[in-house]
Amino acid sequence: MTWTLWRKLLRDLRLTLIAVALLLGLFQMLWAKVTERMLGKLNPLVASLADMGGLTTKDIEERLFEGPGKVVRTIMGGERVQLDRAIDVLSIGYVHPLMQMIFCIWAVGRAAGAIAGEIDRGTMELLLAQPLARWRLILSHFLLDLFTIPILCFSLWAGNWVGAWLISPIQPEENVLPLPVAKQGYLVELGPLRIRVDDPIHRKPRGEVSAEQQAWQRERLAVEPARLGPALVLVGGLIFAVCGLTLALSARGRSRWRVLGLATFVVLIMFLLNLLGQMWDEAAWLRPFTIFYYYQPQQVILSGDWLVSLMPGDPASSSMRVPMPLVLYGVGTIGYLIALVTLVHRDLPAPL
Amino acid sequence: MQRTTNLATGNLQPIILVWCRIVPPTCETAIVLLRTDQLTKCYGSFKALDALTFEVAPGEVVGLLGPNGSGKTTALRLILGFLKPTSGTAQIDGHDCWRDSVAARRKVAYLPAELRLYENMNGRQLIRFLSDLRGEPVNGEIETLARRFDIDIDRPIANLSSGMKRKVALLQVLAPHAPLVIMDEPTNALDPTMRELLLDQVETARSRGQAVLFSSHVLTEVERVCDRVMILQCGKLVHLQRVAELQAGRLVTARFAGVVLDPPALSGLHVRERHGDRLVLEFTGELPQLLDWLSRQPLTELRLEPLGLNAIYYRYHGNPE
Repeated sequence: MTWTLWRKLLRDLRLTLIAVALLLGLFQMLWAKVTERMLGKLNPLVASLADMGGLTTKDIEERLFEGPGKVVRTIMGGERVQLDRAIDVLSIGYVHPLMQMIFCIWAVGRAAGAIAGEIDRGTMELLLAQPLARWRLILSHFLLDLFTIPILCFSLWAGNWVGAWLISPIQPEENVLPLPVAKQGYLVELGPLRIRVDDPIHRKPRGEVSAEQQAWQRERLAVEPARLGPALVLVGGLIFAVCGLTLALSARGRSRWRVLGLATFVVLIMFLLNLLGQMWDEAAWLRPFTIFYYYQPQQVILSGDWLVSLMPGDPASSSMRVPMPLVLYGVGTIGYLIALVTLVHRDLPAPL
Repeated sequence: MQRTTNLATGNLQPIILVWCRIVPPTCETAIVLLRTDQLTKCYGSFKALDALTFEVAPGEVVGLLGPNGSGKTTALRLILGFLKPTSGTAQIDGHDCWRDSVAARRKVAYLPAELRLYENMNGRQLIRFLSDLRGEPVNGEIETLARRFDIDIDRPIANLSSGMKRKVALLQVLAPHAPLVIMDEPTNALDPTMRELLLDQVETARSRGQAVLFSSHVLTEVERVCDRVMILQCGKLVHLQRVAELQAGRLVTARFAGVVLDPPALSGLHVRERHGDRLVLEFTGELPQLLDWLSRQPLTELRLEPLGLNAIYYRYHGNPE
């Protein structure tokens, strides 16, 4: 009975599932190309510019990402991300707002229709007129999540692998800004006077690269999609958490669109609060109240750390650290349980 | 008990009558398939259904009548376990409709009034899906019924008219031979031919021993197929009677020379209208007693007609005329 329902739900969802899975995979492939472009062309250019100005690439990054640019930096993952390392840039593909938007649209869209959608379409009567226990309806949606979320995660990861295959190895461009000899000085004409001014900027001749530097260069440019794999646990967790929250709302509602609007509002508020907390230290305490705080795949990819502090603004809070997957899957499970209790005890209203 | 009597009195024309003794308005068999006991549903201070008590036996067709908002659909939704009763109980074959809802619904097939089907399926897929949910294989009667209903069940439901969709829904209700069939305004959107066909199917279901609970606004079809009729008014059951009794009952219109006296307190007598020298009575009791009283009055005119469901229904819900 549950499987009959599960098959029917999957059948209804199959085209959307394929489209979303393709979208996730294609985006990751595209992001691999972006990574190649950044490391192969933009980084050497920035390095050349830095050389010319007697600066380091860090100086330029800091100038770029100060003020309003901090939003961009925050969205890309904050200070921990080094933009001259392939794995760091690839990891941005997991926290890119478009990715998070796709995860949330999928989860909210799917779960909002699960109960409230069936009620407002009038098909819930058709289902529950059969000898079908209400908990089976929730169980079939849970099983659907167990099936679809891994598909989405693996599609995303497959995009990483295909993208890595397309761009490897990354070859940084040499001599991005070769300065012609003629440009090493300027001839300034002031009326009858012609004054030659020497250019103060001279490219420093690049010396021999040491073996240590070569190893670092190789490590920096290495494209290793396998390292992104563990972050899929958090991707699945985020989708599951949003699904659970939305299903809890859906089990109380009777209009799919109203639930869709409410769930979108809740998710958007949480996203913005998390962003605000990232950018403004005084608001950092808000972050643990949002599910997006527990979605930090870059931390898992780059440092293998699965724990986050419940007091992000307090440096002395190292003891209050929780595993991110536990929170995400916990929120999803609680959402499902609320949906179960609500649906089992509620009146089934007539269709709108 | 049935008797046939010829009557001829003074200024009356001879009338041939057939009548029945009034029996208590419950099912007579010991087996009860559906039983509601003081079933009540409130929404805040509003009582949508007020202490509904009735029983339905296997092989019985019961009509549920009442205007919009009288509580018909609420009653059906409580029986189906869609709504939690505020108080009272409903049981199908001994299973509580709320607490043991799955077991209760195993005995029921339901046709909703507001019909919504999965538009991304065709008729055959829908019937198979619902049969799988019931845990029963699709039986061969589907094809026979589909031919009789003149419907192509392989067409996508999205491409069907509302009448055709209702036919598909009827297939999935009639085919499983559930002990209790609940139909909420089943003839909505059906053409006259299909309506007749449906009523035939209801009679066939009864002959198979299935009970049918049937809500409708069309009095003639209720009168045609139902064994008993229930009338709801503002959530209360105000009338429950065998249709055979209604058909045996008479509407008596009398005119008198002078003042109309109070009619006698006879069983089954209801004064419908009393105005000037005119008296209109609904009578389901033994006619000789009434005629005996009438013959002793200064009668100037007397008309006897079959009572029918119309007279009873409009007693509670007002005659549009």
